[in-house]
Amino acid sequence: MSKTSKLLIKRIISSLFITFLIITFVFFLIRISPGDPSQKFVSPSLSPGLAEQVKDNLKLNEPLHLQYFGFLKSALQGDLGISYNYRRDVVSVIMDYLPFTILFIGVSFVIQICVSIFLAVKAVKKVNGILDKTLSSLTLFFYAAPVFVTGIFLLLIFSEMLNLFPSSGLKSYDFENLNFFEKIIDYANHLILPVITLSLAEVALFYKYLRDNLEDVYNKLFVLNLKAAGVSAKTILYRHVIPNAINPLITIAGIELGIMLGGTLIIEVVFGLPGMGRLTIDAILSRDYPLVIGCSLTAAVLIIAANLAADIIKVKFDKRLLTGSLE
Amino acid sequence: MLVSRRYYLFILFFSLLLLAGCEKDSPVRQNRIVIGIPSDVTTLNPLFAFSVDEGTITELLYMSLINFKWDEDKGDISPEPMLAKSWEWSDDSSSITFNLRDDVYWSDGVKFSAYDVVFSFDVYSDPEVNSRLFETFTDFFTDNKNHIDIEKTFEVIDSFNVKINFLPNSTPTLPEIIFHLIPKHVFENIPRNEIETAEENFKPVTNGPFILESWERNQTIRLKANKNSFLYDSETVDELIFKIVPDYNSRLTQLKRGEIDLAELIKPEDINELKKYEHLKTDAQQGREYDYIGWNNINPEVYSSTGEFHPHKLFGSANVRKALTHAINRQEILEEYLSGNGRLAVGPVSPIFKEIFNNDIQPYEYDLNKARSLLNSEGWIDIDNDGILEKDNIEFRFTLYITSGNPLRSNASTVIKNNLRQVGVDVTIEQIETAVLIDNMYKRNMDAWMIGWYVPIPVDLKMSWYSDLEKTPYNFAGYRNKQADKILDELSTEKNSERINFLFKELQKIIHEDEPVTFLYWIDNIVVYNSKIENININPLGAVHHCWQWKVRNND
Repeated sequence: MSKTSKLLIKRIISSLFITFLIITFVFFLIRISPGDPSQKFVSPSLSPGLAEQVKDNLKLNEPLHLQYFGFLKSALQGDLGISYNYRRDVVSVIMDYLPFTILFIGVSFVIQICVSIFLAVKAVKKVNGILDKTLSSLTLFFYAAPVFVTGIFLLLIFSEMLNLFPSSGLKSYDFENLNFFEKIIDYANHLILPVITLSLAEVALFYKYLRDNLEDVYNKLFVLNLKAAGVSAKTILYRHVIPNAINPLITIAGIELGIMLGGTLIIEVVFGLPGMGRLTIDAILSRDYPLVIGCSLTAAVLIIAANLAADIIKVKFDKRLLTGSLE
Repeated sequence: MLVSRRYYLFILFFSLLLLAGCEKDSPVRQNRIVIGIPSDVTTLNPLFAFSVDEGTITELLYMSLINFKWDEDKGDISPEPMLAKSWEWSDDSSSITFNLRDDVYWSDGVKFSAYDVVFSFDVYSDPEVNSRLFETFTDFFTDNKNHIDIEKTFEVIDSFNVKINFLPNSTPTLPEIIFHLIPKHVFENIPRNEIETAEENFKPVTNGPFILESWERNQTIRLKANKNSFLYDSETVDELIFKIVPDYNSRLTQLKRGEIDLAELIKPEDINELKKYEHLKTDAQQGREYDYIGWNNINPEVYSSTGEFHPHKLFGSANVRKALTHAINRQEILEEYLSGNGRLAVGPVSPIFKEIFNNDIQPYEYDLNKARSLLNSEGWIDIDNDGILEKDNIEFRFTLYITSGNPLRSNASTVIKNNLRQVGVDVTIEQIETAVLIDNMYKRNMDAWMIGWYVPIPVDLKMSWYSDLEKTPYNFAGYRNKQADKILDELSTEKNSERINFLFKELQKIIHEDEPVTFLYWIDNIVVYNSKIENININPLGAVHHCWQWKVRNND
């Protein structure tokens, strides 16, 4: 067995253990927190007995440990239960929201990585030049600005004032009548503002990490050596400087990707998008226990997977990691 | 070569972006109306339509025997034929016979019949189903779990005539037996406890004025006019889209831009801005929702440990509660934070119910001196001159719990805190999550809280104000008054409408004298809609109620 696959198996086993801990923790935490799912049955037009009946049916009056073992038993068979709100299988509810989240985050993430690398490379070409300085303050600004401020600001300019983009939703009302190309345009049209909003902050973050590292690596002696040997500037940059500078970016990108996949609540609310963030927060507020666990599980798996992917990519760039700190 | 390819790609990408930007919304279909709602519904099955929006949408998909209209003059609902062409009560109102339409089809082509009626009663009342009408069939022959006894209750005369028998000496009314009927042939083979999660709920078979076209989670619910419905009129709206726009400000923007045509619960402070737009109309509907401050009338510790009723150490006396109401400047809150879009509340009956509302009751005016003297008369005096009243070595201090995320309540609570401080009462405001607040209301472990409540149609006050706290857990304040109980008991059996109106008025008087909670104000529902919607009638039954009669004006 190769070292990489050994490492992979090890990581998967520890990931499973972490996932188990997370759902156990969430299971107890959400249940011992005050409030319960029958709150929505409190209304003057409903029988007061209904809330009790519902609690009984959901087995919420059973002792916690019995509920937990029952949950574990069905979870092991891949059954996360029925969402109290949606009255459907938790997995199928999540599947309504996850594909959009993955697409949205995926597109945005690719843009974030490309733009931040592009900008960082440009900036370090002339350290402390105009571009470098401008980008430095701009990225700080966008990193510090809360997402809802950037979002609403973009909406105000591009949607309300210039009337270029729709202000919310994922597609037009006449979507079904469009041809394939128009459908893609329609999606793009609706997603441009949210993608930009999400990307601005993340680009700023990635840029900061990468730019400083690039500068460090440029100042290393081996770069001078390469220059002296007459290697072209392009080869130095792509073959030697970027691979040596990119590791911290991959780590942070892995973490950020996982977090974003768990849901970008604020952007989803501002732009009215059907993502995991809104699903999760609604589940928590209405105490939809199975759905809360389903969402936490999804987020946990995605975060762990993104980190794992980041680690694997790092190894590709730097084989020393196989024999070093990762083992 | 490499460079030029990269530039081509770059240009292609940007032209796509530009193209996307230039793409304008395709021409809008003329008879389409888009309604902005803040959150998605969770079901389209009327059995489980608990939220307001779920009710609104399911009543467009499914029909009931009779439809209710709002009668502005009477301040009450009045019935009109729907699935039933006519109905007839027996002389002693122990039974009612419905004559049904024979031209109604479910959306899968099956004919609607009396068997659907019987089946719907059966399912709605079945305790296994957990429908929204669970345990509410009190005038029917039922088993001990309130499941309707079909044999005793129904006589299906033929497919379109059905008779319903009620318990002897009961007082059935139309609103109690009118709900949205479900198709028997779709649900009869599903075990009752699985109806809630059945696949059939997502592909609804319906018979209403609209049918479901598509439901995109957290995006849109699209309905189109049902051409087979007897309500269909080619002149009226033919597509209705409920668009989920979670952010309130986005809903405003979309109203202004014409992306949505109607939104409810607009905040008063935004009206002036919206009025600048010529295509928008505003309508404020007097509400049946009120905010109140609940005072725990009973001592929570004693009640929870022994089940006995001891007056609360601060709020046990009616005079103290009245004093607190006198001390709160409700008018200021109403004008300042609701811009006058509401009305001071004097009790649990909204003024919209003109026949039963007691017009003679005057609201407790804002009067600090009266408040002080009432408090003094109850023995609350500031002995140690620290600005806080004392009695029996207890200082008048308490925590007022409010729900987080409600700006009106949070602003009002600040006014209330300052008001009460002036009469020597020290209030700490604490914001908690709604779920937690409701949990605590049930446990009766708070001294004071502020929340909203509403009056159901038909008006039912027994649920909220009857003394038996085991049977009426909605009496969160623990209000107990024998006279009030007597009236509430009489109301549940009385048939004479004059007498009913009289009893309601008496009851309001008694509750006003006891002031078990401080009724703050009735809050108007402000609806803003596009003036292209014609024939719209906004009333307490909802802005969208009867929307199959809306016409869409052609702007071109």
